[in-house]
Amino acid sequence: MTLNIVVCIKQVPDPKHFSEITMDPVKHTIRREGIPSVINPCDRHALEEGLRIREKFTGKLVVISMGPTQALEALQEALAIGADEAILLCDKAFAGSDTLVTSYVLGAAIGKIGAFDLVLCGNETVDGGTGHVGAQLAELLGIPHVQASNIKFIDERSLTVKMPIEHGYLDISLKLPAVISVTEQINRYRLPTVWAIVEVAGREIKIWDCEDLEVDTSKVGSDGSPTEVTGIFEHKFKRRVEFLRGSPEEMAKQAVVKLRQLGGDMK
Amino acid sequence: MDFSFKREQEILRRTVREFAENEIAPRVDYFDEPGEFPFETAKKMADLGLIGMTVPKEYGGSAMGHLARMIATEELARVYTAWGSHHRGFEIIPYLISTYGSDQQKEKYLRKLCKGELFSQLAITEQIGGSDPLGIQTTAKLERDEYVINGRKVFATRGEISDLIGVTAKTGEKSISTFLMEKGFPGFKAGRRERLISTMSRTMPINELIFDNCRVPRENMVGVEGKGLGPVLGAVGAIGRTGGAALCLGTSIGAFEDVLKYAKERVVAGRALSSIESIRFRLGDMAMRIDIGKLLNYKTGWLLDQRKHPREITKETASCKLYNSELAVDVILKAIEIFGGYGTSADFPIIRRMKSALDAIAAAGSNNIMRLMIANATVGESVA
Repeated sequence: MTLNIVVCIKQVPDPKHFSEITMDPVKHTIRREGIPSVINPCDRHALEEGLRIREKFTGKLVVISMGPTQALEALQEALAIGADEAILLCDKAFAGSDTLVTSYVLGAAIGKIGAFDLVLCGNETVDGGTGHVGAQLAELLGIPHVQASNIKFIDERSLTVKMPIEHGYLDISLKLPAVISVTEQINRYRLPTVWAIVEVAGREIKIWDCEDLEVDTSKVGSDGSPTEVTGIFEHKFKRRVEFLRGSPEEMAKQAVVKLRQLGGDMK
Repeated sequence: MDFSFKREQEILRRTVREFAENEIAPRVDYFDEPGEFPFETAKKMADLGLIGMTVPKEYGGSAMGHLARMIATEELARVYTAWGSHHRGFEIIPYLISTYGSDQQKEKYLRKLCKGELFSQLAITEQIGGSDPLGIQTTAKLERDEYVINGRKVFATRGEISDLIGVTAKTGEKSISTFLMEKGFPGFKAGRRERLISTMSRTMPINELIFDNCRVPRENMVGVEGKGLGPVLGAVGAIGRTGGAALCLGTSIGAFEDVLKYAKERVVAGRALSSIESIRFRLGDMAMRIDIGKLLNYKTGWLLDQRKHPREITKETASCKLYNSELAVDVILKAIEIFGGYGTSADFPIIRRMKSALDAIAAAGSNNIMRLMIANATVGESVA
């Protein structure tokens, strides 16, 4: 049985260094200089899920990423982890693209790749955190989309996933091709081995620009983006210490009262 | 001059860091207690490809090179120094065999060492000390197709748990030969655990080794009889010294991260420690000296990757080992001053780092020997 998979990944600032990140109040972006980059954690889980599915079927797993040439490192890492091919979608015209444009460019790349059965992406990124891309991409490709914390069943024609909702889960079956946005709970991802890191070091990573993708240049970049970030602010947390007194039971009761007063939802 | 790492080296660093943070960091209390050696972690290191990083691919290694090997050691030691030390140690015998061993030895041992089916160590030091490898008293005499070895080694890291140990022995008045000693060879046993401060933990067994009419097949001699010192010193120079430098650098980086976090969070008289000028002087010094340590280490790893023989770069290998082992102790001491009473508490990581950092002062050539080597390379050999 053959199943061709596309996994969309994004290179993001390493969450372990978030405390060092500062904001640019003029451009309304985060300053990435000096902050190490990693594959977006949710996307690592998407890649892992793709690899597990590919191991059960014949077919190819292609990883795509839209970003600057620095993202070649993320794609090389994806090859070391086990992807068959990697493609960077890179053009100066993409600068400032919002999530809709990103979905448009990713969709164009998937169209160019051709035959595919399943598109996997992370549910959200740690930098933007909108969670838009999976659903928008599916809409543009005209195929179903669902968010999944577990893929319970998959064959060449359909799959059943566990979709988390606010107070539980839904089991959803859908036909392929489809886009699945995975959550971090879906698996524990593997690390690349040193042998694989060495093996893929010289492997070609294709770079596709606007011309290769045949995208409408008026629909990409900041000019082509219908949304705009108009403000950015940093959450300031202030620590406050308050001592409770009494027996353990009394202090527990006081703590519950305090937490309720502070707005905790303790149903 | 290009100071950037290759993409694959950056990927390796991230990978080893994630491995160390997932597999080692949550278990440091366990690793630090007395008990059985945690083989499962060593095996996971091997599964990731962290053993045999200078071994050719045809023998099961990754051949990723020395700089990559030093990055891996540094990242492991950043989380827990002893695992950086083991990574250094696990790489020595694979390097010795792949560089100086016979085809038969390569076939027999290298793949198993790279897969973590065998764990290995080099044992040179005897009671007279480790800085005079010609002065050893262990002897090897050829009887038909076997060498009969008699003597003792001391301070053999992982002696009681190693499957294969590189051992030096005298085969003549001034001739030293090197042998690959398997755990089960008759007449060989690991003796008592040395009473070093680091050996109180399950992760750092350091033993005496005893050879009592121990019989070693002739084919287990590395290189030529009487010429065993060259290979051993080559392995110590290329792997032992630079690995020691890398584990000390990782230790310094880990200690600095610990103390920086503490200094930013700890409020005294309404101010974070990190805002007090005298503390900032210390933190600034640490950051600068860690950067110097990095420059020395990465340059030396790069030189080895340019196929420089360890003998050609004794100044560099000695400098990076000397500087980084002193740096680790200095950073930890400064960190203890900032931590105050918590600095020596077993509940905080900082004192734990000191135990293995102290070991590194003497390992792979004591620091005063490093000074002599640097002077010899700079001023010329001593004639006295």
